Amino acid sequence: MDELKVFTIKKNIQEDNAKVAEITRSQLRKQGTYLVNIMSSPGSGKTSTIVRTIKALKDEMKIGVMEADIDSDVDAKAVQEAGAKAIQLHTGGMCHLDATMTRQGIEELGVEELDLVFLENIGNLICPAGYDTGAMKNVAILSVPEGDDKPLKYPKIFGKVDVLIVNKIDAIEHFDFRMDLLEERVRRLNEDIIIFPISAKTGEGLDEWLNWIRKEVRKRG
Amino acid sequence: MHELGIVYEVVRIVDGFVQENQLTKVEKIVLEVGQLSQAIPRFLEECYPAAVSETAYEDTKLEIIVLPANGKCKSCNEVYNIIEHRRICPKCHRDEYALISGEEFNIKEIVAG
Ligand SMILES: Nc1nc2c(ncn2[C@@H]2O[C@H](COP(=O)(O)OP(=O)(O)OP(=O)(O)O)[C@@H](O)[C@H]2O)c(=O)[nH]1
Ligand SMILES: [Mg+2]
Ligand SMILES: [Zn+2]
Repeated sequence: MDELKVFTIKKNIQEDNAKVAEITRSQLRKQGTYLVNIMSSPGSGKTSTIVRTIKALKDEMKIGVMEADIDSDVDAKAVQEAGAKAIQLHTGGMCHLDATMTRQGIEELGVEELDLVFLENIGNLICPAGYDTGAMKNVAILSVPEGDDKPLKYPKIFGKVDVLIVNKIDAIEHFDFRMDLLEERVRRLNEDIIIFPISAKTGEGLDEWLNWIRKEVRKRG
Repeated sequence: MHELGIVYEVVRIVDGFVQENQLTKVEKIVLEVGQLSQAIPRFLEECYPAAVSETAYEDTKLEIIVLPANGKCKSCNEVYNIIEHRRICPKCHRDEYALISGEEFNIKEIVAG
């Protein structure tokens, strides 16, 4: 039998992820592609919001989408039909995307000529919050039916994202959802967060979000 | 599951090290996992066989060393486990501490030839 030795590695896994994410970010910056990571629970409206955004902006900029659905390509098809370049990431039962999976997706998608790329993360409010994907900005979507208490239960994600989209405001009268309470709870975790109440169904509130995206894409690089 | 991705990442990093150092056989991978880290040791152990099946690491063992969530009291310097003591210093009963361990997630070493 071969001789076995102990090799000390002492490698921090999160550190490695952070490094890969940093490389991705600087490469994307150099080539002028703006990557946005979108996180939410299943069904909050990630795909609906992305589709709306593509339809509104596709004549102004080239858009790509990486979809991380667990086991289907329905969302990738929906965004393709809306007019974006799209791929389905193969996540094999995972609950979050890390920087390496995101890089593989970027290579597969081919982003050189793209101005804006959305990453639709896996539907989950816990695990994705722990991983830097290499995106320039992180966006969480909370939909009205989920309740205004979610920042209390999932402080990590609400404390970390740059933008919070509150979706499905067209349905607000059917739920005990208080926007002022939500905002107060979120701001306690994240003073500078930008909040956009929208309806991906009716288009209400969408302009503010679209303007934010336009501004971010313009100043990229 | 969350831990599956973490285990894949571990195997990927170990594989990089193995290639770099031209090793041929890895007997064991040793991880250090803090009590406050993102991963739960039992889940890591459960995911591991799936992550290495049909790879060169199929017979490689996984050992996990759990590092305690220790804080050092800012008032009296007592070092205590903040989970067991619910954050409160057992000596002076205050709850201001500096975390000194517990958030680690390291590949400590591999035993290989
Ligand atoms: N009333 C209302 N329904 C909406 C709105 N946005 C999305 N929906 C509906 O909510 C459901 C889920 O929307 P999706 O966009 O697929 O949500 P998702 O976050 O992409 O879901 P997963 O990818 O499965 O996690 C669909 O039936 C949408 O039609 C909205 O603003 N108002
Ligand atoms: Mg979707
Ligand atoms: Zn003390």
